[in-house]
Amino acid sequence: MSYLARRLALFVITLLLITVVTFLITLVLPGDVATMILGTRSDPATLAALREKLGLNQALIVQYGHWMGRALSGDLGVSLIFKEPIALLLGQKIAASTLLVVMSLIFALAAAVPLGVWSAVHRDRWQDTVGSGIALAGISLPDFFWGIVLILFVARWLDWLPASGYASPVENLPLALKYALLPSITLALSLMAHLTRMTRSAMLEVLGQDFVRVCRAKGLAWGAVIFRHALRNAVMPVLTVAGLQLGYLFGSIIVVESLFNFTGMGWLTYQALLNRDMPLVQATVLVIAAVVMMTNLVIDIVYTVLDPRVRLS
Amino acid sequence: MKRREFLQTSGLLMGGLAVGGLPGPAAAEDAPRRGGTLIWGHSETTQNLDIHQTGTASTLRLLQNVHDTIVTVDHSFKVLPNVAESFDVSQDLLTYTFRLRPGVKFHTGAAVTSADVVYSFERVKDPKTGAVNFDVFKDVAGIEAPDPGTVIVKMKQPFAPFLARLAELGAGAILPKDSGDIQGKAPVGCGPFKFVSREFGNKVELTGFADYWQGAPYLDGVLSHEVTEETVRLTGLQTGQFHLINDIPMDRVAKVKQDPKLQVLSWFPLCWDFLNFNHAKKPFDDPRVRKALDLMVDKDALMQGALWGQGVVTGSPSFPTSASYDANIKPRKQDFEAAAALLKEAGFGPGQLQFTFKVTTNYPYHVQAAQIMQAWFEQGGVKATTQQLTWADWLSQCWVHRDFEVTMMNFFTLWEPDFLYYTLWNSTGAFNYRNIKDSTIDDLTEKARRSTDPAGRAAIYKQVQQRIQDETHDVILWFRNGTVGARQNVGGLDRLVHPNGSNLMFRNVWLKA
Repeated sequence: MSYLARRLALFVITLLLITVVTFLITLVLPGDVATMILGTRSDPATLAALREKLGLNQALIVQYGHWMGRALSGDLGVSLIFKEPIALLLGQKIAASTLLVVMSLIFALAAAVPLGVWSAVHRDRWQDTVGSGIALAGISLPDFFWGIVLILFVARWLDWLPASGYASPVENLPLALKYALLPSITLALSLMAHLTRMTRSAMLEVLGQDFVRVCRAKGLAWGAVIFRHALRNAVMPVLTVAGLQLGYLFGSIIVVESLFNFTGMGWLTYQALLNRDMPLVQATVLVIAAVVMMTNLVIDIVYTVLDPRVRLS
Repeated sequence: MKRREFLQTSGLLMGGLAVGGLPGPAAAEDAPRRGGTLIWGHSETTQNLDIHQTGTASTLRLLQNVHDTIVTVDHSFKVLPNVAESFDVSQDLLTYTFRLRPGVKFHTGAAVTSADVVYSFERVKDPKTGAVNFDVFKDVAGIEAPDPGTVIVKMKQPFAPFLARLAELGAGAILPKDSGDIQGKAPVGCGPFKFVSREFGNKVELTGFADYWQGAPYLDGVLSHEVTEETVRLTGLQTGQFHLINDIPMDRVAKVKQDPKLQVLSWFPLCWDFLNFNHAKKPFDDPRVRKALDLMVDKDALMQGALWGQGVVTGSPSFPTSASYDANIKPRKQDFEAAAALLKEAGFGPGQLQFTFKVTTNYPYHVQAAQIMQAWFEQGGVKATTQQLTWADWLSQCWVHRDFEVTMMNFFTLWEPDFLYYTLWNSTGAFNYRNIKDSTIDDLTEKARRSTDPAGRAAIYKQVQQRIQDETHDVILWFRNGTVGARQNVGGLDRLVHPNGSNLMFRNVWLKA
């Protein structure tokens, strides 16, 4: 229990630090939300009045204090530029982004496990080279590159899927799935690459063990040995890593959602940054950070349940 | 105004309003039909929905359908009664009396009274509101409501543009008393459509208001999908996902016009663009340098290259249908020899003038225009380096801190000449981010503002334009076209665009069976 208490305390401290860092980062950005609200309709007097009204003239420590005070009492406030309650915005967007992340996790696993097994079974032959090559390409190139490639090929040339767009999964799930398909594949690629390599090495390790030789010796078919016995043992660490990567995926949605105009949490974060809407930036970053840390914590705990050999200390 | 009359006047005045793809006059005679929800692929994300606090064209385009103003304008910018059925302006321009039209209702069902008008005006006037049109009421001494149907506005000094500015949504929209707190999230007004809901960054739902004072709109509702990627929006129109989209990609307009399933509405101006010099930075304080750069730009070629021909080159920034528009001001023709001579006079031989040209990626065609101009400047022996800025960076650097040498910008709907010439070219003007200081213009714009004679005002503004041209304070480039694409089953497109050239009025539109 003391382990859990320590982890939770760390969790809170990290979140606090994140809010401070986010606040400091925005100091570097030129412009403020008042300039963005008024755009080319702003004159110095109106701008000054609006800054005063939004509290942008106060010392930064005071602004931060105000924000923190309200946030601690559960009030995330109202977006300065969009005038929607931030809690409502987050509520509207989190479902779509969760859908995106879960879909990409499924895609990553569905592709990585067979590919990794295939590579391991055909170790050092051309099949292995192909599998490892795919994995390497996924790791070495960034998300947005694959996103652009997918938009060009699947949406522009083949015209199979919309190049960008969004639908709320709560209102229209089939449409939301359609819009989420390309961004989730994009998001899945680098994770898929990592998991493929993971599966390959785990499989190789297991395939070298005695019980595999026993299985073969007692006359089991090769397929049964691989899938029923070896994979079962090899897949556990892969699943663990996949779980840990859920948090990573959630952090990557800012780029991918913006690229595909998929107006979920990541897109919202980007809009908030573009418009210098500090309360909204704080809230979205905080939610994403919390989700990342929560999944890590949950995975750690679940791991002890699944594998009694692991002790948390 | 009758429909036919409107077509005649607008055809004459606007010159640029054209509906393509209609199979002849028979379709134009189609009787309007009631019912149906129009699905609109909107080009931008709507922001703060509070009409007083929002200045973005995208949000105004939507809210035009939710709100109604105390007075309005026609295509020649004549001020007309609207929610006020009549108005009187005293000779000295110090007292404005509005008599409200009986039977105008808010979406809440309550009648519009003078108390609501006073509330709305006071709210814009109050600096705490953070109203974009705050300046409209700065000469107002007091707003009174002697009875529920009358509103009297008293001025401290004459402010000639006041009445016309009230035709703008941000200044003249009537909101129910004490509704300010909810307007940003759920706007309420007395316009033809009621706001139902919005999912931010995705869609907005409006429903027809049966008790609208000019009669219920033909449409049951409007569903706006916010699709910022222009090719996706066009695909949505082509596949029938949308009935209507605004802003067809400029390079695709010609092709869309040939599609028998679609109709294209194009008009000018949606906005106008100009090239700016920072007069506080050497050598751009020297008119010879500014004029030399102007002489290097071929405006027609630039418009073709950056706008794909979707615009009209102009030397006058006045709204083309307004009294102060001056067609006699001609853009300078490209002349590298004359430019070189002027630069030499100013002390710059070939290759000696260098500057940074800042443009915002918020308007991709500005980036293209800057790149084309850069090549011409190079040809003229001037080295320009283009720097691309995000919208926030451009606003901060160029607009607020005035830290630039050369840049370019556009403006929507500055059709009231005082708003245009005073704010942009008076040395104390709110939008004078180029640090222009010209006492001739200062005197003229101040005089026009206090003038009670409309014809005299127009003449003064023509003098201002001549001065801008002579001194090359800025280089006026073009009016950019607005475009709307629609399926063939959308009727009434010719009355869709508001006289300001930007807002869309869905109450005039219907869906054919």
